[in-house]
Amino acid sequence: MKLNRIADWLYILPVLAVITIIFIIPLGYTFWISFQEKALGGEAKFIGLTNYYTILNSKIFYVIISNTLIYSFSAVFIKALIGLGVALLLNRKFPGRGILRAFSIIPWAAPAFAVAFFFILLYDLKGLFNRILTYIGLPALRYLGPELAMPSVIFVNVWKGWPFFFLGFLSGLQAIPQEIYESAEIDGASRFKKLVYITLPNLKTVFFTVCLLSLMWTMGDFTTIYLLTGGGPLDRTLTIPVASYFKAFASGASIPQAASLLILVLPIYLILIYLVMKYAYGRT
Amino acid sequence: MPMVERKLNITILTLVGILLLILFVGIPFYWVFNLSLTSEEEAYSPKLFPTNPTLNNYFDLFNPSKAAARAARFENFTGPLVNSTVVALIVTALSMLIGCLAAYNLARFNYRGKSYVSLYILFAYVFPPFFLMIPLNIVINMIRLGDTLIGLILAHLAYTVPFSTWILRGYFMGMPKDIEDSALVDGCSRFQALWRVVLPISAPGLVTAAIFSFTLSWDDLIFALVILSKAENYTLPLAISLFMQGGEVYAWGELAASTILATIPPVALYLLIQKYVISGLTGGAIKG
Repeated sequence: MKLNRIADWLYILPVLAVITIIFIIPLGYTFWISFQEKALGGEAKFIGLTNYYTILNSKIFYVIISNTLIYSFSAVFIKALIGLGVALLLNRKFPGRGILRAFSIIPWAAPAFAVAFFFILLYDLKGLFNRILTYIGLPALRYLGPELAMPSVIFVNVWKGWPFFFLGFLSGLQAIPQEIYESAEIDGASRFKKLVYITLPNLKTVFFTVCLLSLMWTMGDFTTIYLLTGGGPLDRTLTIPVASYFKAFASGASIPQAASLLILVLPIYLILIYLVMKYAYGRT
Repeated sequence: MPMVERKLNITILTLVGILLLILFVGIPFYWVFNLSLTSEEEAYSPKLFPTNPTLNNYFDLFNPSKAAARAARFENFTGPLVNSTVVALIVTALSMLIGCLAAYNLARFNYRGKSYVSLYILFAYVFPPFFLMIPLNIVINMIRLGDTLIGLILAHLAYTVPFSTWILRGYFMGMPKDIEDSALVDGCSRFQALWRVVLPISAPGLVTAAIFSFTLSWDDLIFALVILSKAENYTLPLAISLFMQGGEVYAWGELAASTILATIPPVALYLLIQKYVISGLTGGAIKG
C-alpha cells in the first residue's frame, strides 16, 4: 500500500511542479526584485523600500487604482444588466431561440485582441459610429479622446464580456423548478411579481459567482486598454495591468519599480481571490 | 386586460429584444467584415455595403510583396498564423496531459493534504496572469528562452495548466464511479482505469478543457509582448498590430481581414462546446 501512495503523488507532481516553477517562484521573484535597484545587467543592489516610496509618492499610483476600480466595477455592473436581460429574453420559448443563444456567445468567444481591433475600426473618425453621427447631422466624436476614452474602453469590455453573465444567468434560470411559477400563477401573481419574488432571489448564488469571476478578469484585463488607448490619453484609461507593463518595459522604465507597484496592488487582488475561492468555488 | 392583447404585447417586447440583441452583437462584426471586403480605393471612405466586394484583402495577407509593403516587419501572414497555431496546439497538448493526471488524482484519490493541493491549484487558476509578466520575462531570458516560441509556450502553461486541471477535476467528480470500480476489481491499475475507462467516456470534458487551453493561448497578447521581439516569432496579435502605426490604422482592409481570420478558430471552437462553457468555467459550481 505504501508504494501506491507514492504512485498517487506522481499524478499530481507535474502540475505542482509547473505551478511552483513558473508561477509561485516567479511571483516570489517579483517580491525580491522590488527591493533592488537594478534588475537587468549590472549588479542588483538592495535598496530597501525606496521603490515603494517612489511609487507611493507618485500621483499616478492613485490615478491608476481609481481608473482600475472605475473600469472594472462599471463594466461588471453593465455586463450583469445586459446578461440578465438577454438571459430572461432567451429563456422564453420561441422559434430560433437556440440559434440566438449560440449567436450571443460569439463576442465572448472572440479573442480580446480581435475585439479591440474591431472597435479601433468602429471608433475611428471614419469608422461606423462617426458615419452614423454625421449621417444624422451630428458632429463626429473622438471616442478615444480624453473625455470619452474611459466610457469607450468600458463599452468594449462590456460588449465582449456580457455573454458570460448571460450563460451564467441562463443556467441559473433553467435550474429554477417550473412548479414554483405554476403555483404562483394559480395564486394570481403578475409577471413582474414573479420576476421579483421568484426569479431574482433564485439567481442570487449564480449572480455572486459570475460577478466575482468577471470582476477578477476585468481587473486583470490588459489587452483591451493596451490596444485601444495604451492607457492614454492623459492617463485617463491607465489601469493597473497596463501601467505595470509600461513601468516595466517602456523606454526609460524600471523593472524594480514596476515590481513594487505590483506588490502594492497585490492586496486588492488577494482580497478578490479570497472572495472568488470562497464564494465562487466554496473553498477557503 | 384581455388575454389576447397581453400575449401580443409580450411578443412585441420579445421581438424588440431580439432585434436589439442582433444589432448589438451583429453591427461590430458586420462593419469589420464589410471593411475586409472593401477594396483599397474605397477604404478611405468605406460604404455601408461594399460596392465591389473583393477578397483581395485576404489574398494580400499571404502575398509577400503586398504584406511586406504594408507591414515592413514580416514577410506575409502565414508566419504569425503558423506561430499562433503551433504554440496553442503544444500548450493544449501539454496542459491536457498534465491536467488529466492531476484532475484524476484530485477527483478520485484520498490522501492527507489533498485539500491544500486543491487550494494551491485553484489559487493559480484564479490569479490574474498579468502579475507574471515581469518575473516570467526575466526567468525566461535567464534560461535563454527569451524571444523563442518555447519560452512563450512555458509562459502560457503557467495559467493553462491550473485552468485545465480545475475544469477536468469538476468533470471527473461529476462522473459515476461504478464503471471504474469494476475495472479496478478486475485487476486494472489506477492508471489503466484512467486511460482505458475514464478518458474514453469523458470526451465532452476533455474537449471543453482542450478548447479552453487552446483559446487561452491563442488569445494571449501580454506574454507575446514581453517574450517575443523578432518579427519571425510574432503571433497573431503582434502581427496584426503592425497594420497600425502610432495609433492610426493605415491598412484598413488588411487589418479587418486579419482580425476576422484570427476570430474564426476560437469562435468555431466555442460554438462546439457552448453547452459546457459555463459548468466548465465555474468548475461545476454552476451546472450548464
